[in-house]
Amino acid sequence: MAASKAIMRGPTIIKAEDDKTRQLNKNTLMAFSGEAGDTVQFAEFVQANVQLYSMRNDTELNPAAVANFVRGELARSLRSRSPYTVNLLLGGIDPTTQTPHLYWIDYLASLASVPYAAHGYAQYYCLSLLDKHHNPNIDLEQGMKLLGMCTDELKRRLPIDYKGVLVKIITKDGVKEVDFDNDKIVRSA
Amino acid sequence: MGSPFDINGGACVAMVGKDCVAIACDLRLGMQALTISNNFPKIFNFAPSTYLGLTGLATDVNTVSDLFRYKVNMYRLREERHISPQTLANLVSSSLYEKRFGPFFVSPVLAGINQTTGKPFICGFDSIGCIDFAKDFIVSGTASDQLFGTCEGLWEPDLGAEDLFETISQALLSAVDRDALSGWGAQVYIIEKDKVTQRLLKGRQD
Amino acid sequence: MPGFDFSNYNRNAALHARGVPLPKATSTGTTIVGCIYDNGVVNCEKLHYIAPKIWCAGAGTAADTEFTTALISSNVELHSLSTGRDPRVITCMTMLKQHLFRYQGHIGAYLVVAGVDPTGVGLYTVHAHGSTDKLPYVTMGSGSLAAMSVFESMWQPDLNKEGAIALCAEAIKAGIFNDLGSGSNVDVCVIEKDKPTQLLRNYEKPNERGQKERNYRFPRGTTAWLNQKVISKEDMKKYVTIETLSGDDNLAAGEKMEVDV
Repeated sequence: MAASKAIMRGPTIIKAEDDKTRQLNKNTLMAFSGEAGDTVQFAEFVQANVQLYSMRNDTELNPAAVANFVRGELARSLRSRSPYTVNLLLGGIDPTTQTPHLYWIDYLASLASVPYAAHGYAQYYCLSLLDKHHNPNIDLEQGMKLLGMCTDELKRRLPIDYKGVLVKIITKDGVKEVDFDNDKIVRSA
Repeated sequence: MGSPFDINGGACVAMVGKDCVAIACDLRLGMQALTISNNFPKIFNFAPSTYLGLTGLATDVNTVSDLFRYKVNMYRLREERHISPQTLANLVSSSLYEKRFGPFFVSPVLAGINQTTGKPFICGFDSIGCIDFAKDFIVSGTASDQLFGTCEGLWEPDLGAEDLFETISQALLSAVDRDALSGWGAQVYIIEKDKVTQRLLKGRQD
Repeated sequence: MPGFDFSNYNRNAALHARGVPLPKATSTGTTIVGCIYDNGVVNCEKLHYIAPKIWCAGAGTAADTEFTTALISSNVELHSLSTGRDPRVITCMTMLKQHLFRYQGHIGAYLVVAGVDPTGVGLYTVHAHGSTDKLPYVTMGSGSLAAMSVFESMWQPDLNKEGAIALCAEAIKAGIFNDLGSGSNVDVCVIEKDKPTQLLRNYEKPNERGQKERNYRFPRGTTAWLNQKVISKEDMKKYVTIETLSGDDNLAAGEKMEVDV
């Protein structure tokens, strides 16, 4: 999973080393975008509750359970006077079956299980690349290469500097941040 | 912003045949013109031969299917039997009408065979729970206008399971190909008294 | 009233404020009429049961007419059980108007209530805002103007049963043919003192669909499919015990439902 490192307020970049992800438990990671304030508040709220659940019941929740819990909380908030405006990507490895899962959740709390996903303007640039180059048996090396193609395209086409991306990979051993070359210069065609 | 029923797109149709019913849906999930997923089924199973299709706003498709899974599970625990299509129809109707002044943006379609009478049953609903009983077919979703046309033209009474499969599939595929917000594959359930066949259709991916 | 659940209201109001239109509920393009005669009353189209001798025709928001009449029917039954008397049409009409007035027109039920009770025949209209009328002949719904024109030109004070049925059917047909919203069939309900109520579904079918000239049956194998899963009773037997009950129709008596034929 990758998320841009810039925090912006209007035309101003106010932070260039932001981490727009939270680890919900040992093997699930959630990336978020949306309204400033709502995003971190909501992410840390579900993070705390997923951890509380695991402490109370002495079980790790699998990604499907976490995704449905997160969706439930977002759907509940949607029916309140001030709903969270947060778009989410939730990735994880099921600890029992060792299978990878990715969930796409939007601010309306629509939930979909997908092989690849993006939110925001990145969708318009990246999904077509992913449609063409992704296959179900893709390995990490190919995946990183494909991610590179996506970020190149964003650099080429997006009229904003999102200050590079922070990349994390989720394996059966947990979540770890990986190095990613954000300094590559991509010229517009 | 358009109508909440048209944001995510999707289509669903149910048809009656001879001692069988069929229900089918497309697989697209989108946001306006952008397709997010081509594997978003809209038909949910609630008893061995009872299926509910939900089109409309995706978040409410999720919420309503979860809600009825909960309600039908509670029914099965209390009554120690499966819910019949007729009972599920009334449950759907009253649950949706409960939210008369803040409705879920869904248009449900129900199809099943009553295991006690062996008779096929289909019906549709509006978003506040008004039941539309039909002896032929029910359509819903962003391609409903097109589905009305294809179903009116292709459906005929007393189709057997295999013929009903062809009829419902062609009606759905033709309709969704004319709707920008539906399509990207389809799923069909052919429900017979003691057999259900689920098929994944080869649909256009554009 | 069990009570409405307003939990989605704020969300939908917020969406509406952002320019999202509110959903359209099924609204019946409808003609409904009622007409009294010497010893009874005739009521036409989209009929709902209230009590054995009180029936209601509904126009407007379909779900609202359905649930409002079901609720009042239930309360009328309880009322008649607790008083030990046959329910009166005016009681039913009052309960309907008080319910609808409480919701200030937001429950879009437009009703014609008709029936026979110990005080005689009763025929009323109830509007969604709670106003009512008591008249010898009434019409409602989008086809009410067309239907009323028939009543105004043909109604007489001394109608007999057959005359009243024919007049009501004629009024409904005026709605079917002259109002774009109204369509298809005529249902009639005849309620008479000391006689069982007659519900004549599809009393007239002036819009019978013709036989299709050609069929478009596809050869088997037309539709390409990628994979299939068969869930059969045989497979299920591996996991659970299945017993087939007798197909006695009476077993499902509690599940019988009104279905359009």
